[in-house]
Amino acid sequence: MAEDQSSGQADEIKTVPYRGGSFEIRPLGIISPFVFIGLIAFWEFGSRTGFISGLVLPSPTEVFTAFRHAVCASVRFAATADHRLGLRQCARDNCRTCNRSFFCGAGRFVAIGFSHISNPENRPVTIVYYLVWHWRRIEGRNNPVILFGTFFPTVIATYGGVDNVDRNLIRMGQSFGLSWSSIVRKIIFPGALPAILSGCRISASIAIILLVAAEMIGAEFGIGAYILLAGSLFATDQLIAGVAVLSVLGLCFAWVIGRAEKYFLRWRA
Amino acid sequence: MDLRLNNISHAYEELQVLKNIDLDIRQSEIVCIVGPSGCGKSTLLRLIGGLEQPQVGEVQQIGEPPPGSLNPLTYIFQDFALLPWRTVKGNVSLALEDHDLGSKERGRVIDDVLRRTGLAEFGDALPRQLSGGMKQRVAIARALSVRPAVMLMDEPLSALDSQTRELLMGDLIDLWMNEGFTACYVTHNLAEAVRLGHRIVVLSRRPGTCR
Repeated sequence: MAEDQSSGQADEIKTVPYRGGSFEIRPLGIISPFVFIGLIAFWEFGSRTGFISGLVLPSPTEVFTAFRHAVCASVRFAATADHRLGLRQCARDNCRTCNRSFFCGAGRFVAIGFSHISNPENRPVTIVYYLVWHWRRIEGRNNPVILFGTFFPTVIATYGGVDNVDRNLIRMGQSFGLSWSSIVRKIIFPGALPAILSGCRISASIAIILLVAAEMIGAEFGIGAYILLAGSLFATDQLIAGVAVLSVLGLCFAWVIGRAEKYFLRWRA
Repeated sequence: MDLRLNNISHAYEELQVLKNIDLDIRQSEIVCIVGPSGCGKSTLLRLIGGLEQPQVGEVQQIGEPPPGSLNPLTYIFQDFALLPWRTVKGNVSLALEDHDLGSKERGRVIDDVLRRTGLAEFGDALPRQLSGGMKQRVAIARALSVRPAVMLMDEPLSALDSQTRELLMGDLIDLWMNEGFTACYVTHNLAEAVRLGHRIVVLSRRPGTCR
């Protein structure tokens, strides 16, 4: 008591509250796959017990069965077709719809380029190629659509990235007498790479959207056509299988670009 | 090799920055240029090294650079100008890659300059892992690697704290004692100029004129 009186009044002692940390990046570890599996299990459980209507949202096992059927059908189709003839036919079909445009030549060139993998010994490779080919082969012209849709975001991102390269670094390169091509390769390109990669990210998502959208218009094959058909027939299991394939496609793109960023931009961190 | 500036004037659009500058930079001499900010010191240095062209007058090179000099006029920048995606070795190597050196010779030069600047252990570090003083030492190592005839330093110590500045100034003096390089040193810090310079040139307020 005497001490209290001598120092005036007793002050409360507190530690200073910690206010940082809310934007720190914490690794989530293996939580996300568990959450994902848990969600799927809950969905399966809901479908089995009947509180999720099977008509609107079929169970994951049904979706997977539909997916397996779709894959089997594609593989059978690809395996029975004569590869070389099939490719030429595809190229010719493409030409007809392209009205002898530039893409006709490009399509033929690609077909010739790929003729070496249509060797029966390389059948597994060919089957994968056929899957991609048949998913993309449609009556309209989806290649130019995707080309134009993804070209400009990439170009604009690259332009911005190059524009943002530190001028002092370029001046430094000039002061050391580096050649024009050295400055572009060693200073401008690595400096613009973060922007180029984020441009690729945007382009990849636009490419998927456009691919599907193009396939939904007057297409015979492709994920878009598959989803559209499934929707028209109210085959929700096939519909969700198609959507799942699209999600996986998007995740694959994102993963590849993420790995590229991690590798090429490890100097940032 | 000496440098001579003949009656140099320069303007950015309407703004006259430099007016009638005459200056000699003789071999093995450190010339310090001091002056208030915005008087055209950095512009003058860019003109000397040929990164910009003066509107009036010319910069002359008297005599040939010493044999073996890869880049006679070499800059050291205020903001270090290191490539963040290259290691210390890679940054030094950048200045050598366009010259006809074998990879063995290049490696030898890099090791040599890193040892002379006290960076031998940090060859594989990235710039972001280094302190400001060490970054500037990397920039000095890079400049030394091309064996310059004249070093053009644009406020090389301004971005550093006073202790590091003292240390690096000591390093520069030691370096000059050992190698006797020629330099044009731009600064707004009079103490640096007095300690390093053999000759001090004072630029007046804009338009900058020699005093």
